[in-house]
Amino acid sequence: MSNTPHPYIGFGLGLRTCYFEEILATQPNVDWFEIISENYFVDGGKPWHYLDQIKEQYPIVMHGVSMSIGSTSDINFDYLGNLKKTIDRVQPMWISDHLCFSSLGDFNSHDLLPMPYTEEAIDHLAQRLNIVQDYLQRPLILENVSSYLTYQASQMSEWEFLSELHSRTQCRYLLDINNIYVSARNHEFEPETFLDAIPQQAIAQIHLAGHSDFGSHIIDTHDQPICDQVWRLFENFAKTRGPINTMIERDDNFPPFSELMAELDHARAIAPESWSVHDFA
Amino acid sequence: MTSLEQLQKDFVEMLSQDSPKFEAHIAAQSGLAPQQRAEIYQNAYRIRLTKVLEQDHEMLGLYLGDDLFEEMVKGYLAIYPSCAPSLREFGNRLPHFLSSQSPFKEHGILQEIALFERLLLRAFDAADSDTLQFTQLQSIQQTSWPNIQFRLHPSVQLLTCHYPAVESWQALKSEQSPPSPENTTERYWIIAREQDKRTGFYALSKCHYECLKSIQSGLPFGFVCETAAQYTDSEEQGMMQVMELLQKGIELGWLQSNIELLQA
Ligand SMILES: [Fe+2]
Repeated sequence: MSNTPHPYIGFGLGLRTCYFEEILATQPNVDWFEIISENYFVDGGKPWHYLDQIKEQYPIVMHGVSMSIGSTSDINFDYLGNLKKTIDRVQPMWISDHLCFSSLGDFNSHDLLPMPYTEEAIDHLAQRLNIVQDYLQRPLILENVSSYLTYQASQMSEWEFLSELHSRTQCRYLLDINNIYVSARNHEFEPETFLDAIPQQAIAQIHLAGHSDFGSHIIDTHDQPICDQVWRLFENFAKTRGPINTMIERDDNFPPFSELMAELDHARAIAPESWSVHDFA
Repeated sequence: MTSLEQLQKDFVEMLSQDSPKFEAHIAAQSGLAPQQRAEIYQNAYRIRLTKVLEQDHEMLGLYLGDDLFEEMVKGYLAIYPSCAPSLREFGNRLPHFLSSQSPFKEHGILQEIALFERLLLRAFDAADSDTLQFTQLQSIQQTSWPNIQFRLHPSVQLLTCHYPAVESWQALKSEQSPPSPENTTERYWIIAREQDKRTGFYALSKCHYECLKSIQSGLPFGFVCETAAQYTDSEEQGMMQVMELLQKGIELGWLQSNIELLQA
C-alpha cells in the first residue's frame, strides 16, 4: 500500500481554532494545513464551518491522536469508522497518527505512551497496521513520540525499531524532530544518530515544535517556540535529504498567527533550495 | 498474557490506580529514578484530564473555587476514567457524579450548572441543518396546518432547572456574584446554535417549553396547539402563544426547514 512515492507539497502549519478567521481573511502563504482528526468527529458547528471553507483553498493533512495503533486491545472499529467518515469529507493528502498506545480496553489515557522496542511489538504493530490500512484503504503514517522512560524489555534503540518496522511493512514516518530531541535529552543519545538511521523513502513528513525544559528532563509540551537546537538539527538533517513535507506544530499557548508564519518562513529559509515550492498558478 | 499485554496493563493501572507494579518495567538510567519517570506520565494524565474539565466547565470551576473543583476532579477521575477516544466526551457523566456524590449532591445547583455547560457543548457540536424560513409557512394550506410536523434544529437543547443555575452561570461569566442557590420555582431554558455558529440560550415560559417538548417528541402542529391551550386560559391564547413561539423559533433558527405534512 505504501510503495507509491509520497507527494511533496512543501511547508505547512497546524490548523487550530483560534486562527480560523485570520486564515480565511488573510489567505496566508502556507502550502498546506494539518488538522487534528478527532476535532472533526462532530456532526457540525464551528470546526466544520471553517474547515469546509479552508479546504477549498489549501491542501489538508489529517493527524490523529487517539488511534492507539500499538494497543493490545481489540481494534476500535467505531473509532476507525469515525475516522473514515472524516477522511471521506476532508479528502486529505495523507493521514497520520502516533507510533504508540494510548488506550487499553475501555481506558483512554489521552497520552502517547511509548511502545517497548521489541520484536514482539514490531510483529504486533505490523499486524495492526495491516488491518487499519486495509480498512481505511490508504497508508497510515506514523509519528515518533517523545518518551520519558526506557523499558527493561527493549531489545533495540528507537531508530532501529523504526527502521525494522519500515523494512517489514514499508510504512512511512512523520518524524517529529522536537520529539527526537526531547527523547535524546531524556535518554542521553545523539539525535543525529536517530535521524541518520531513517531512510529517505521512510519519511513522509516532519514536525517542528517546542518543548519545556525542566533541567533534569524535558517534556514535549508543544506550547513554546521551536528552540535553537531543534532548528539546527532540522537544518543539518535537511541538507542531507531530498524534500520532505515540513510542518510547524503548536498545540497550546497560541501566539499571534504572524509568529507561526515567521517560524514557517524560517524553516523555508534554512531548508535547501530543492525544498522550495514554486507557485506556478 | 503476552509480555506486551502485561506491560500495557501495568502502565494503565499505574495511571488509573496508582499501582506500583509498572515501575519494574522501567530500566534504570542516569538522571531520574524509575518512579520519577512513571510520575511524569501520571502527572500528564491528571493534568490533561483536569484541563478538559476546567475548559468544559469554566463557570462551575469558578462557582466551586479551586479546592472543591480539585476534589471534584479527583473523585470523578477515580469513578469515571475516560472511556472514549474523544476528550469531548470525558465530562459527560459529571452532572450525574455531582448529583450522586457527597459533598456535591447536597447542593442541587451544582449538577444543574454542570448539565447546562454540557448542553452548551452539545449544541456547539451538533449537526448542521437548514433552518425554517417564514416564506415556507406561506405555502402551507389552511387545512394542512394541524398535520404539519415541525422539527427542532439538531443543536436545540431544552433544560428545566430547579435552582438559579443558568442565572449563576451568567453572573459568573460577567464577573458578578451569583444569586442565592435556593430551590425555587422551575425555570425553563432553550440552548441552540445561532446563525454565526455561536451558542445562545434563552429563558422560556412554561407554555413555550412544553410546546417545544411536544415538537421534539414528533407531535403535529394541532397537538402543539393543544399543549399550548393547557398552559394558557383559552384556546385562542394558546394559539397566540404558539404563533409567538413559531416567530421566535424562525428568527433564532430553532426549527429545521424540512417540515412534513403528516397523513391525517
Ligand atoms: Fe508532533
